[in-house]
Amino acid sequence: MWSAIFSLLAKKREGRIRSLVEMEGNTILQARNISFGYEKSLVLKNIAFSIRGGDFVAIIGPNGSGKTTLLKIILGTLSPMEGDVLLDGKPVLSYAAKERAKKISYVSQEPIFTFPLTVLELVSLGRYVHSNRFKQRPEDGQAVEDALRQTDSFNLRERKLTTLSGGERQKVLIARTLAQTTRFLLMDEPTVHLDIYFQLQILKTLKEICREKKSTVVAVLHDLNLISLFADKALLLKSGECLAFGKVKEVLNEYSIKEAFGVDVATKKDSETEALYFFLRNVLP
Amino acid sequence: MTRLTQGWLIVLFFLLVSFTLALSTGPVKLSFLSMSPTDRVILFNLRLPRALSSFFVGGGLALAGAIFQGLFRNPLADSYLLGISSGASLGAAVALVLGFTSPIAVFTGVSFFSFLGSLGALALVFYFGSQNGAISTFRLLLSGLGVGLFISSFVAILMIMAEEELKALIFFFLGGFSSSSWETTLLALVFVPVGVLIALYYSRELNVLLLGEETAKSSGVNTKSIQAIYAVLAAFLTSVSVSVAGLIGFVGLIVPHMIRMIFGADHRVLFPLTFLVGGTFLILCDTIAKVIIAPSELPVGVVTSICGVPFFLYLLKKEKGEYGL
Repeated sequence: MWSAIFSLLAKKREGRIRSLVEMEGNTILQARNISFGYEKSLVLKNIAFSIRGGDFVAIIGPNGSGKTTLLKIILGTLSPMEGDVLLDGKPVLSYAAKERAKKISYVSQEPIFTFPLTVLELVSLGRYVHSNRFKQRPEDGQAVEDALRQTDSFNLRERKLTTLSGGERQKVLIARTLAQTTRFLLMDEPTVHLDIYFQLQILKTLKEICREKKSTVVAVLHDLNLISLFADKALLLKSGECLAFGKVKEVLNEYSIKEAFGVDVATKKDSETEALYFFLRNVLP
Repeated sequence: MTRLTQGWLIVLFFLLVSFTLALSTGPVKLSFLSMSPTDRVILFNLRLPRALSSFFVGGGLALAGAIFQGLFRNPLADSYLLGISSGASLGAAVALVLGFTSPIAVFTGVSFFSFLGSLGALALVFYFGSQNGAISTFRLLLSGLGVGLFISSFVAILMIMAEEELKALIFFFLGGFSSSSWETTLLALVFVPVGVLIALYYSRELNVLLLGEETAKSSGVNTKSIQAIYAVLAAFLTSVSVSVAGLIGFVGLIVPHMIRMIFGADHRVLFPLTFLVGGTFLILCDTIAKVIIAPSELPVGVVTSICGVPFFLYLLKKEKGEYGL
């Protein structure tokens, strides 16, 4: 009887969420005038944007501009002073931890490896919210294997985390997030520590899951050229303010980069892909 | 046969051997084949509760250490170094001085006060060891050392003031099982297994917490309640151990590390094996304490420290950044 009641309630809730989403088109995430800060200094000022399902969104900005804070607010582990974030039409803070973890996953900037878990154990932790305390299910094992293969780290699975190189660690951390199989992925500098080959590999993987599974990726990235190649949209932050949000082509140009970073760049359009390439100017005296 | 199965078999074998040793050694030589009534009393009323006490206290202390290490992601955390044991012993000392004298009242009063003491110490260590909600390895240890020393000085004051209960108080400093009875054993026998089950039940969540709070939250773990459950549980296990056997150091520090080095850091494996090995280790230490200078006894805390400190120093020297020190 209880299960019947629960499923009825769940259906009702689903129906309500669906109607909200339909109202706003394909919007999966909406940030409504977020501000955050400590006493006098604001870290984020009145940030607003909305993200559609299937988008690859890059967050870009100088160090200390509030990128990580913004991610944590989207993730729902930090509550904003003002404004709120809607995930699937519902305030992200109103989700129970487990309910939220089925929708949104996260790669943090500073991973902690105190104790020597193996890679397989680490990636399996991504299945926490789906798996059962008492019995192992084959689909969990499959998801873990898929995630390891997608990040080209299947051969690392027996290694201890404490013995991995920086790049290998980053790959298996991303694998853990992929194993969580959420429709929405948040990544704080996922390509940090990786050489150019693995940066491309990770970004290709993320792009693929955006295209094929209609997943949404929001990632803090620094490389302008990689953002041009892979991201659909970009959000440019400076000192906690959103300088621009929209299609990458519209957000990133000589002027916006100069304004955000104070760095001179020149751009050139790739004739095939129409992506913009960025070149540094006036660097050497 | 997997490495883990082999591990379990070896651990269980050693447990059996040490338990047999504990039952068959002592100042009186027992003839197991034709037991006299006195032999029976010695075996069932002295040696059996003593062996069980040392097993559950050792297991409880080791498990508390494993929990503290996992909870604070800190390889040097254990009840002793964090000052939690000191809190528990102050609580127990206060209960003794306030005069819970009937056997049953000692049993409940001492353990209850000792639990309060360990919770109080935990709160202090946590308060001084964290900054803006974040806990660093060194800050936590320094805070634990400070709080532990501070509390111990109060125990010393109590000892000077309370002449009558001096003997009972000294017992808490030395630690041991020489006065184990079924009454004290029962405390460990009932509460430690409950603690083991709770620790095992949430071990998956603690695994996820190893990745840091932010990541654990995003993985669906209710971090605040898991942390609270484990902190209280470890304090509880510490206070049970202290009420039964006084202060015994280093079991909680070394045993989890031994298990981690051999079987890895997964708490679902680490917890049960740590409990069993911790129990076995303390049975052996207590047996050594009992026989090495017979007919008198060494305090078991001395034996665990003599075995434990060199291992601890060896770990410290060997550590190459794998544990994030």
